[in-house]
Amino acid sequence: MLSVDSIDVFIKSSRILRNVSLKAGKGEVVCLIGRNGAGKTTTLRTIMGYLRPEKGSVSFQGEDITRKSTHEISRLGIGYAPEDSGIFPDLTTHENIEISTWTKTTEKSEEERIKLAYKVFPVLEGYKKRKGTQLSGGERKMLSIARALALDPELLILDEPFEGLAPTIVTEVARSIQDIIKMGPSIIISESNIYHVPDFTDTLYVIERGEIIFSGRPEEVAQEKGILKIIAGTA
Amino acid sequence: MKKTGIVFLLLILAFLLVWPFIGPEYQVYLTLSFFAYSVALLGFNLLFNYTGLLSFGHALFIGVGGYTAAFLTSRFHIPYMEVSILVTILLSGVVAILIGLICVRYIKIYFAMLTLAFGMLFHSFLMKTYHLTGGDEGMSVEQPYLLGMDFSSMDQMAFFSGPYYYYSLGVLILASIAMWRIVHSPFGLCLTSIRDNPDKAEYLGIGIRKYRLLAFIISGCFTGVGGVLLAPITGHMDPGMVFWTHSGDMVFMTLVGGFSNFFGPMLGTVIFITLRDVISSYIEYWRLIFGALLAAIVILSPGGVIEVLTNLFTLIRRKIMAGENAS
Repeated sequence: MLSVDSIDVFIKSSRILRNVSLKAGKGEVVCLIGRNGAGKTTTLRTIMGYLRPEKGSVSFQGEDITRKSTHEISRLGIGYAPEDSGIFPDLTTHENIEISTWTKTTEKSEEERIKLAYKVFPVLEGYKKRKGTQLSGGERKMLSIARALALDPELLILDEPFEGLAPTIVTEVARSIQDIIKMGPSIIISESNIYHVPDFTDTLYVIERGEIIFSGRPEEVAQEKGILKIIAGTA
Repeated sequence: MKKTGIVFLLLILAFLLVWPFIGPEYQVYLTLSFFAYSVALLGFNLLFNYTGLLSFGHALFIGVGGYTAAFLTSRFHIPYMEVSILVTILLSGVVAILIGLICVRYIKIYFAMLTLAFGMLFHSFLMKTYHLTGGDEGMSVEQPYLLGMDFSSMDQMAFFSGPYYYYSLGVLILASIAMWRIVHSPFGLCLTSIRDNPDKAEYLGIGIRKYRLLAFIISGCFTGVGGVLLAPITGHMDPGMVFWTHSGDMVFMTLVGGFSNFFGPMLGTVIFITLRDVISSYIEYWRLIFGALLAAIVILSPGGVIEVLTNLFTLIRRKIMAGENAS
């Protein structure tokens, strides 16, 4: 489905990613874990075409998307919910979700896709007419994921979906993500807190200072004391 | 739109319909400029408020519309107003594509400066091509036929305060309905999302350059139509119409009226035209007063005069409701 092969990414003259590779198969849940500043968001933004790798390539469903623009990548079927939510403040909750259905047509109708987004995040249905500015941090996060989901993506990328959320909201968002997984898309989640790594993760990648230092099953990382220390920031 | 808003609009419309019968001839004549600039600003504000791009060269499109009317009526002897409007839409669209392809690659001050540069290029073109455009002397605009009807037997002021008045009002109503539908359509909401957060809009599959270009083209066409309506009122087109200060006037009208409200720029045209007429009859340096007024508006009420009026209206309504509850 998605394959990131040995990418090097520079921002201005600083090398942010070095030889980063990761894969996400059909229906697979992949978690990219690392401390703040490790390169998680840069990796995801590179997949989305927002940053261009100096070396290496990114392919989606066998198609090279390394040089494609962000909106083209999105239309190919990759939904992205950024870390800062990035909802549109002047649009209502409903319009924020609706907008995704206009840019990409899929087998599902607009109504079906919107309905599905509300089904996963029922709390948003009560705030349909509220403007983006009137939503709380947790609701914005949910809206950001709901909006990406309304694209009817084959692959959903969630950048730190639990960041800054109250514990009760974390549970709610985690439950919603579980619902999304049942719908079948592949999912890549970035996370800085190991305790937030969902139980349903198939493959775990650990990134540190722009390099992937571990990849494997989540239970395997528990054997790697050094890696755990790095993730916890105590190394 | 809220019920009170619709009632208010209908009242204004009713007033505009009877205005030629009750208002002084000169004031009715001034209202024509309000209609023309309102149509032009519908286009300008699609770009400014809804897309987040400030054009400092939009008078160029007023010039395209005005000179098209001048060419067709006085050079080619095609006096039909509808032909002028259609040709203007076509020409403005072509000009907007050519300029927009370059300008929409940039945003903020770079976009503003590029549009200003293209506006001034057009100004120089009009000045230098004397044989074609009449240079600094400009071109005359003949009285147009409206809906195929010739009104040349009428007194000019009677023409302006009668048929032309209602024709311009009709164009303004149609343009307003069209623009209202555009900004409330999926396309309009995509523009708003681009203005709010272009990066995130791209993540949702919105090609921002394409949308910005489309907004620029539509904007140019509306402003061009405003220029066609303005041409017979002035009776003359000269390069001054596309000079950067004229673009600045459009920015002024929009800011004073209130750019974040659909009808704000229209209110701005009323304020601008009325004040310019009143102040310039007393002092020569009317722009000095306008500058001070603009500074005051931006500092005291960034949402423009319409925001002041809306707040005032809300306050009065609350007081009335509080009074009703108390009694």
